[in-house]
Amino acid sequence: MNHLPVLPILIPMLAGALILLLERRGIIVQRIVAWTSILALLVVAGLLVDRAGEGGLSVYLIGDWPARLGIALLVDRVAALMVMTTSLLAVASLLYACANWDRRALHFHALFQLQLAGLNGAFLTGDLFNLFVFFEVLLIASYGLMLSGGRSLRMRAGLHYVVFNIMASTLFLIALGLLYGLTGTLNMAEMAARVAADPADQAIIRSASAILLIVFCSKAALLPLYLWLPETYSRTPAAVVALFTVMTKLGVYAVLRVYTLVFAAGAGESASWVWPWLLGAGVITLVLASLGVLAGRTLRGTVAYLVIASAATLFIAISMHTGASIGAGLYYLAHSTFVTAALYLIVDLVRRQRGALADRLAASAPMPQRTLLGLLFLIGAVSVAGLPPLSGFIGKLALLGSVPADQVWWIWATILITSLMTVVALSRVGSQIFWRGQNDPVDPATTRPTAPRRLEVAAAIMLLGFGIVLTVAAAPILDYTAAAGAQILATDEYLDQVRATLPLLRAPSP
Amino acid sequence: MTFPALEILLGLPFVLALIIALSRSASRSSIGWLAAAAPVLGLGLLGMITPEVLDGTVVQSSHPWIGQLGLMFTLRIDGLAWMFAGLVLGIGTLVIIYARYYLSDNDSPQRFFAYLLLFMGSMLGMVIAGNLLLLVVFWEMTSISSFLLIGFWNQRNDAREGARMALAITGAGGLALLGGVLLIGRIVGSYELDVVLASGDLIRAHSLYPAALLLVLAGVFTKSAQFPFHFWLPHAMAAPTPVSAYLHSATMVKAGVFLLARMHPALSGTDLYFYVVSAVGATTLLIGAWTAIFQHDIKGLLAYSTISHLGLITLLFGLSTPLAVVAAIFHIINHAVFKASLFMAAGIIDHETGSRDMRRLGGLRKFMPITSTLAIVATLAMAGIPLLNGFLSKEMFFAQALEIQGHAAMRTAISVAAFLAGVFGVAYSLRFVHDTFFGTWPRPIEDAPHEPPRWMKIPVEVLVVVCLAVGIVPAYTVAPVLAAAAYGVLGDALPTYSLAIWHGINLPLLMSVGGMIGGMILYFGLRRLFDIHAIMRESFGRRVFRRQVNGLLALSWRFTRGIGNGSLQRYLLFMVLVTIILAAVPFLADGATLLGTNAVSQPMPLLGWAIWLVLVGGALATVMLHRQRLLALIVIGSVGLAVSVVFVFLSAPDLALTQLLVEMVTIALMLLALNYLPQESPAEPSRMRRWRDGAIAICAGAGVTALAYAMMTRPANTIASELLARSLPEGYGSNVVNVILVDFRGFDTLGEIVVFGIAGLVVHALLRRARLRPDTIMPGPADLLPMPMTLSHLLFPLALAVSVYLFLRGHNEPGGGFIAGLVLAIPLLLQYVIEGSQRVESRIGFDYARCIGIGLLCSIATGIASMGFGFPFLTSGHVEPGLPLIGEVPLASALGFDIGVYLVVFGGVMLTLSMMGTVKSPTEPAIRAHTS
Amino acid sequence: MMELALASGIGVLTAAGVYLLLRARTFDVILGLTLLSYATNLLIFSAGRLAVGKPPVLRPELAENLQNHTDPLPQALVLTAIVIAFAMTAVTIVVAMRSRSDNRSDHVDARKPGCDA
Repeated sequence: MNHLPVLPILIPMLAGALILLLERRGIIVQRIVAWTSILALLVVAGLLVDRAGEGGLSVYLIGDWPARLGIALLVDRVAALMVMTTSLLAVASLLYACANWDRRALHFHALFQLQLAGLNGAFLTGDLFNLFVFFEVLLIASYGLMLSGGRSLRMRAGLHYVVFNIMASTLFLIALGLLYGLTGTLNMAEMAARVAADPADQAIIRSASAILLIVFCSKAALLPLYLWLPETYSRTPAAVVALFTVMTKLGVYAVLRVYTLVFAAGAGESASWVWPWLLGAGVITLVLASLGVLAGRTLRGTVAYLVIASAATLFIAISMHTGASIGAGLYYLAHSTFVTAALYLIVDLVRRQRGALADRLAASAPMPQRTLLGLLFLIGAVSVAGLPPLSGFIGKLALLGSVPADQVWWIWATILITSLMTVVALSRVGSQIFWRGQNDPVDPATTRPTAPRRLEVAAAIMLLGFGIVLTVAAAPILDYTAAAGAQILATDEYLDQVRATLPLLRAPSP
Repeated sequence: MTFPALEILLGLPFVLALIIALSRSASRSSIGWLAAAAPVLGLGLLGMITPEVLDGTVVQSSHPWIGQLGLMFTLRIDGLAWMFAGLVLGIGTLVIIYARYYLSDNDSPQRFFAYLLLFMGSMLGMVIAGNLLLLVVFWEMTSISSFLLIGFWNQRNDAREGARMALAITGAGGLALLGGVLLIGRIVGSYELDVVLASGDLIRAHSLYPAALLLVLAGVFTKSAQFPFHFWLPHAMAAPTPVSAYLHSATMVKAGVFLLARMHPALSGTDLYFYVVSAVGATTLLIGAWTAIFQHDIKGLLAYSTISHLGLITLLFGLSTPLAVVAAIFHIINHAVFKASLFMAAGIIDHETGSRDMRRLGGLRKFMPITSTLAIVATLAMAGIPLLNGFLSKEMFFAQALEIQGHAAMRTAISVAAFLAGVFGVAYSLRFVHDTFFGTWPRPIEDAPHEPPRWMKIPVEVLVVVCLAVGIVPAYTVAPVLAAAAYGVLGDALPTYSLAIWHGINLPLLMSVGGMIGGMILYFGLRRLFDIHAIMRESFGRRVFRRQVNGLLALSWRFTRGIGNGSLQRYLLFMVLVTIILAAVPFLADGATLLGTNAVSQPMPLLGWAIWLVLVGGALATVMLHRQRLLALIVIGSVGLAVSVVFVFLSAPDLALTQLLVEMVTIALMLLALNYLPQESPAEPSRMRRWRDGAIAICAGAGVTALAYAMMTRPANTIASELLARSLPEGYGSNVVNVILVDFRGFDTLGEIVVFGIAGLVVHALLRRARLRPDTIMPGPADLLPMPMTLSHLLFPLALAVSVYLFLRGHNEPGGGFIAGLVLAIPLLLQYVIEGSQRVESRIGFDYARCIGIGLLCSIATGIASMGFGFPFLTSGHVEPGLPLIGEVPLASALGFDIGVYLVVFGGVMLTLSMMGTVKSPTEPAIRAHTS
Repeated sequence: MMELALASGIGVLTAAGVYLLLRARTFDVILGLTLLSYATNLLIFSAGRLAVGKPPVLRPELAENLQNHTDPLPQALVLTAIVIAFAMTAVTIVVAMRSRSDNRSDHVDARKPGCDA
């Protein structure tokens, strides 16, 4: 019995519970537990990717119940990739937090671990209601991480974030109720079979799937549901927001998973309708987000719109809906997660160097460590803007290459022009922040720079390093993602595999 | 070639740049030498492969990078690449030597040379790239590194603006180029240069050719500062002079024309190509030359002259006859040489006199004779005076202009343009020489300048010597280089040509002579007519660019603000609206039937209607009364009650029980919260908005009704029967709901209690240190009612018993861990409400957070146990001991799981409540809760 | 009839919930979310179709099938949903309290009293 698929959920959950027991023993103990869990998670993620890389789907029947009765976990290349990305991201963000934030935020380590459990659960589950549950786990954990140790305006942003997501969850439940009422099952693969089976109820099923789409898109910050993101992310502590950058990607992942699996094969109408909508929305969002990047008046606001832009680019990638484009999208997903997270960390370091000016875009007195931070920012900016030679360029290259001929013109135009807008914006931001202005409002009273701690810089460099790895090892990684893209489009295999996986000692389901 | 010369050649600058960047403590001169090492060693390597290149072989080396995208790491040196690499490295060496003495003490040499080598590496990579995508990569890298170099003196506004402008323009061109290259890739099927250059006919024939060509040309024109993109170059002059000498004369601006040469076999030879390229070239040639005359800044004058010379080169490539190509390449070399030396001279003048403004200079030949002679010679080369290299290529240019075949109109136009450009060229050269070196020194004699340190002169001397050598004995100097480079472009189509000073009296010669005379007349005429120094021209392009960028910024700001005004109400409104629309589309679009096949409507008893009335009435009343909050709370409580009755009524006892308990706790929480929130909502100003929201709400309600009804009237084909059948034999429980919770879908429940526990933690984290000012104490700790207190004391043991009972029977009858946990919590909750938290806390001091932890561990451990036996997570086992009183207790391992649920729920609720109860107001002294 | 009644009940709850959700004060919004959670719970529950007096608690004398028992699965789902909704409500309430006391306003956008829309 191979328990690999469930470990990414169990390890952090266990660690979270353990940390709750040990909280009174002081921060050091908590850190030890947290790091052991993270490292274990890394190993497991590695094994998962390795196993998924061989091409097989593995289904894990929890409670040894047949998939349709119980809950089944589902590991394919995409899921493994997501788990891996999240684990790597978590290492950096935990590193950053351990510099001192975890002392100031009550229950930080417990919440952090449980958040990871939630994320991994959402990536791995093959059951729609279970997906909902894990969404809630990671959401409520994210509320805690965002708000613990915060005050004033962060509370307002928190309120927006919480209420908005509860509304989204409500929609999720409505959709779930309808879908169960119509298909009588919750396992995604089984549901796919039944959706394909009865053409009579296509209209209602499509309504339900539309409601579900809203839920995922509001997580992924797609037009017009991205408005909550800039404020929320700007008010979130750096170490946490670095981890949050994967949550928009979770939304994209959910769309990809559910709409390629449940509403795909056979269910002609309810399958095809979604992609054109998403493509259009993605393009518009990309343009608006790039405008937002240009309009940014604070560093964090600018990065927030970069996050939205990356999510929009992902939607464009998956909506073209060929194996190649999805593959390119997955590569871009990993890249954008790391680079935006890195930017958030760098921006936080910069912000603390500039005292009262914080991260507002105004010429300030030259800050200490301006060379180091400037260099880090430069690398991040080049990468996120998709300029050569870093991972952003490769991602965009792969994406542009995968655009089918009939859509080449407008999609290429959008992507290239928006990257130009990003370049203009970031060169402006960079020169304003890191290049001394002539009229320096040097105000020693307001400028109380707190030097960046070693761990924090290390975390930022680590994230940029992931980007470098993505660049150097681009060929094998792109092979993997392309295979993942092809795999996720082969829907029937999922159903076969889910049905073919039999319980160990229980009777299989008729 | 066994030893990787090309890789090392390319790697050198980057490695040394890194070393220099890291060498914090090294002395200025050692850094200078380190930097110089890169191009010098590079030249050595280049020398090694020179023989091969000269006899026409193409030196290649290829490594896979991203094969699936066609991006190979192919390096390829043919004549052209070799010639350019030579320029980059040779002039690079001189510039580095020069810069070593140019930089002042408060310029960090590390930064400067690191950037410079970074650029050198990128430029080198671009010229020797053997793969179009790789070429684009290095192309963009030159833009980035030049951004850093132009902005080197970043305390200056003009430097920052110039840098941004250059990056924006060339960056845009780079993206266009990328697009063009990708198109070419789609046409040819490969990005390898050999393949692409070989399949010129295929490309020209293809329907995508015009698009690809124009995109590539956009890249070329932006990089080589061709009209209308030329204006970034003068503003890039804010860079330190060595940078201008290197980037803006010899190398980077030549990248564009290099690409023209490189792609000549693949793209040239069509009318489109001819007209676009030569027209743009001619325009740039004239505009640049004319504008140059009226510059006051020496570097400004040189910049515009560079623009016009680049225009000349572009024009020659546009003509695209073999001889024109040869002339173009020849002029690339010549221009690089004399313009670099001129920039360096300008730098010397600036360095020594502290000014580059020709209106504040004059008579320098008296103070710095050597520099002056050098500069003057170089200027004459620029003006194309015989015996200097400029003359030769200009002659060839005139000749080509006169020999355009076919397009008669173009021939006359271009010939005239060429002649005029010659005139202007002579004029601005004169302006420079006359204003700078002749006339009188305008300032007091004591701050008169003097010769620079000799190491600053040497590079200039070298370059000027080259000018002369090439100009006088071209056959023995430049001929082989030119031949090799031209062969790299034209291959076997290489024409026969003679590099001689004297071709006899012919039209080109007359044009040159005419040009010189015309130039003098023009210059002195202008001086006589009006005072050139008074003429002020602000760059038109810059104004437009600024307006564009500012417009874009303003627009984006309006957009972003307009859409996201930071109002939660708007976010939610959008979500609701989009949902309604998307969900309605399928019905509105292909009017699908709402009603299901089996609309068997069950009879509705009177009781049912009664409940329905309470439900609906309660909901509406909540809306009506929502501004009197206490009242609204009571009403909504009744709605919750109605819901749980519905559950009883429709045979869901577990749900009813849970709903009831949760309802109580929720209401209690809201009551406590009301202490810290206003008692009333203020009236809303806008009636409009109320109506709008009402309408939307009704739509939403109608939609949900429709969907729910549609669903309920359809046949259910559910897996439930299987669940019912397998619950008892395999789940060991007859309360199927509970079996589902702890066994079939135990994983959901695990997640659920995690959520519950986290909720407790979040509340704890938010309230522990918080100081909240009570609004008005509603059901407060303040006054203690004796009677209910004792009542609640009595209640507690009873509640404990009940909860244990409910817990144990849960697996077979309604009940279970969750309900039990709540039942245990309720009486404590009562105590909190009645007698205030501090008292309770002091009685049962208890770490609820830890309780949650234990509960979670308990549940997870039960699940993991089964893994020990080799079964999946959460597989249930079973034993049946008899217990007194309660009877047969089926101890499914699920029970252990349920204990966890019990603990988490209890801990979670209590943690929440105790925090809500013990909030410290800023006024009264804080009594620490036991729960920290 | 019964189906229609329940459906309409759900609809009314939803409408009321949505209206309150769009109000400007935190407490009203919380009320709205509560009503919405009632609505969704009933909706999920109704996915098991409606049956009177057929609790999914197995009795020896009754055969274990859908003739004698309602669909237990939706009930289990609703239980989970109720619990999660409760957790979320608790958090929302507390955040609302904090936002009020930190920002001196119970407007959802923490606008100062007077300048609210």
